Amino acid sequence: MNLSVIWYLREFLSFEWVHKFLFVKTAPLTTPPYFRDYPLLTGKECTHCLACMMICPVPGGIEVLMTREDACHLPVTQSRPPGSDTWNPVIYPGHCIRCGLCVEVCPEGVLMSGRVIEFQFIDNTAFTSTFQLEVDHTLCMRCGNCSIACPVNKEVDPALGGGAPPSSMESVMLVTGGELKILNEDKCTGCKTCETACPNMAIRVVRQVEGIHQEDEEE
Amino acid sequence: MSLLQQIKNKVRSKSIHVTFVDVGSCNGCDIEVLACLAPRYDIEQYGIYVHNNPREADILLVMGVMTPQWEDKLRILWNKIPDPKVAIAVGNCPISGCVFNRRESYVDPPVSKHIPIAAEVPGCPPRPTEILNAILSLAPVVFRDYEEKMK
Ligand code: SF4
Ligand code: SF4
Ligand code: SF4
Ligand code: SF4
Repeated sequence: MNLSVIWYLREFLSFEWVHKFLFVKTAPLTTPPYFRDYPLLTGKECTHCLACMMICPVPGGIEVLMTREDACHLPVTQSRPPGSDTWNPVIYPGHCIRCGLCVEVCPEGVLMSGRVIEFQFIDNTAFTSTFQLEVDHTLCMRCGNCSIACPVNKEVDPALGGGAPPSSMESVMLVTGGELKILNEDKCTGCKTCETACPNMAIRVVRQVEGIHQEDEEE
Repeated sequence: MSLLQQIKNKVRSKSIHVTFVDVGSCNGCDIEVLACLAPRYDIEQYGIYVHNNPREADILLVMGVMTPQWEDKLRILWNKIPDPKVAIAVGNCPISGCVFNRRESYVDPPVSKHIPIAAEVPGCPPRPTEILNAILSLAPVVFRDYEEKMK
């Protein structure tokens, strides 16, 4: 009993302990290098495929813009002359949730963030996406805005935008027979142009993204 | 600078009282604020104390997207905080509405429409260090020589 009191006094009245008790701080906190922070540019060339924009789960998180590299707060790299206008993904903090999906989905490896690419390589994973078009026929007024705006339709049937009657059944959707018909859902690239163009919020694009594990090639 | 002001500066630099309000977040940012209290980040070693009482607070951390129920109440709460005071938006929600800001949702971001916001900490959720840094870098700007500046 006596011994333990002395032990306690010795321990806790020492200058060192009192000093620590009053003045100790935790080590300065730094962000570890593997933290999945806002994506950065790697310097590889962006092909403007927009896959990153389509997978981004938040509104307004990422945009692919024709910018100077030094204009988008990301580091200027050697591979391109600094200050030239190129396509660049621009990430908006305040919208971006740092999920890293854009990094993972980019086929060109334009973006990097933490260890996302490293792990994607180790695990051999990828994304597949399919798109489903849903039309609320009670809201749709068959104006055809969506089928004219759709960039896929523009390729398939360029005359459609000029008011010509539809000449091909290869379009994604068409107004035929008094109804908007979805003809080739699988051709949809998920750009949501139709959603934006619809004056009545009648068409919705549902994106179904699936993470897949690719089999190792040698097996 | 008067002696009184110097004493006030000294005291205020070591005693920043923070209150936090969740105006409709998913609770992620709230948990990050709580993580600041835990020994790993230990917010109190910097002289920052967390309360749930706005009348004791100097700094208000706002989290969440601003749901309709908060439209009038956030302003009331803000008015209860005595001067000098400052509000920090924590997380993406009070800045942009984040994933909730979609067509046909009832949320009304940004929070700066409703009360003055002095700093924003983006992230979904932000790291506790980012929240800490925001408080620590904002506090001296606002609280040092407050009375002198108000003259
Ligand atoms: S990290 Fe996620 S949220 Fe941020 S821009 Fe990329 S996909 Fe969008
Ligand atoms: S950053 Fe990648 S995914 Fe995005 S548009 Fe460029 S190449 Fe496509
Ligand atoms: S999402 Fe784009 S590609 Fe798909 S149907 Fe709509 S406009 Fe066409
Ligand atoms: S734009 Fe909207 S209202 Fe017009 S045809 Fe397409 S879905 Fe219907």
